Amino acid sequence: MKILSVDDSKTIRMIVKRTFAPFDCTVLEACNGEEGLATALAEKPDLIVLDITMPVMDGVTMLGKLKENPEIKSIPVIMLTAESGRENVAYIAKLGVRDYLVKPFKDDQLIEKVKRVIALQPKAEAVAA
Amino acid sequence: MPTVANPEDIAKQFGLESVPESVKRLNQLLTKCDATDTDDFAKLVNQDAELTKRLLRAANPRAECEEDYGITTVEDAIQRCGMSAALLLAMSEPLIKAVQKSFSTMLNLELKNVLPQTLDPFNFVHVIGEVSFSGKATGLVQYRLPAEFIPVLGDRLLGLSAEDMQDEATANDVIGELCNMTVGNFKSNLCDAGLTCKLSPPKISRTEEFQLNVVEGGTSQRYGFHSKEARLYADLSVNPFSES
Repeated sequence: MKILSVDDSKTIRMIVKRTFAPFDCTVLEACNGEEGLATALAEKPDLIVLDITMPVMDGVTMLGKLKENPEIKSIPVIMLTAESGRENVAYIAKLGVRDYLVKPFKDDQLIEKVKRVIALQPKAEAVAA
Repeated sequence: MPTVANPEDIAKQFGLESVPESVKRLNQLLTKCDATDTDDFAKLVNQDAELTKRLLRAANPRAECEEDYGITTVEDAIQRCGMSAALLLAMSEPLIKAVQKSFSTMLNLELKNVLPQTLDPFNFVHVIGEVSFSGKATGLVQYRLPAEFIPVLGDRLLGLSAEDMQDEATANDVIGELCNMTVGNFKSNLCDAGLTCKLSPPKISRTEEFQLNVVEGGTSQRYGFHSKEARLYADLSVNPFSES
């Protein structure tokens, strides 16, 4: 399993990485929408965790471009953002996202949302321990 | 993916919290701002006990307790402070909640909101994390944090050592993200109240200056917070009529 974390904050990318460390998956990182699209095309992740406010290309633009590209449009996206204004959430929902998590968030909340979309398995060593 | 079109229903489907009462109140207040008669505005303020308390306190800046207040009605307080100041105070609860939620959720730190004058001022070099917003409302929020609190942030948020947090880029990213979360939430509340605006990227600086900044045409308010581990301030300055 591959999860792509797209966020300009290294702190958030580190939190996402730490959150999924106990699971059998690889967390890929991109720090803006442009990098996110390139990584999505190259790596075809099973899920994208996407922020909105980012330099170079924001998350909403990236989401729009992702949905226009037949190669990657079916990759599920979960928004992870501090943006919770109703009009913006409704607009993003129309573009096509599987779920939405508002920062600040607990690791468990993110795991729960991701588990609804992809089949996360604990790492073998974690199970053995 | 949601199939309903109502924004509130979509938010519910995603499990988002409902729009707080304080934000609905702010929205109502904004609709009464155009009126030349302040009665309707005052009536709405009167319905909110916390806002009334804040406004009367602001209208009586030298009073040490409520018994010393010379201005005792909301109507007189609005005359004294103006609608902009009343709106700023109506934004207090959303901002205080956003600060407390960010620290509680991400850092497991329960912050108590206190009057800033009850805390010792920062007469030393401290860290400022700042995010501004612009649109129908223009303003900025600044966190003021003592330097000794920065390693605590890194440890609680990411399990980083004090040595890791000596790296300025790492420390700035942690502080910046905390600002982003807080002000992002607050800005979403402003949008839900009708003050559509956009955020700037966070800016981090170190300063000895402890002065409250004011955006052009706006008013400002300082909020104090403390826990066992730290004391900090959040400064808010807003011009709610920047597009008028």
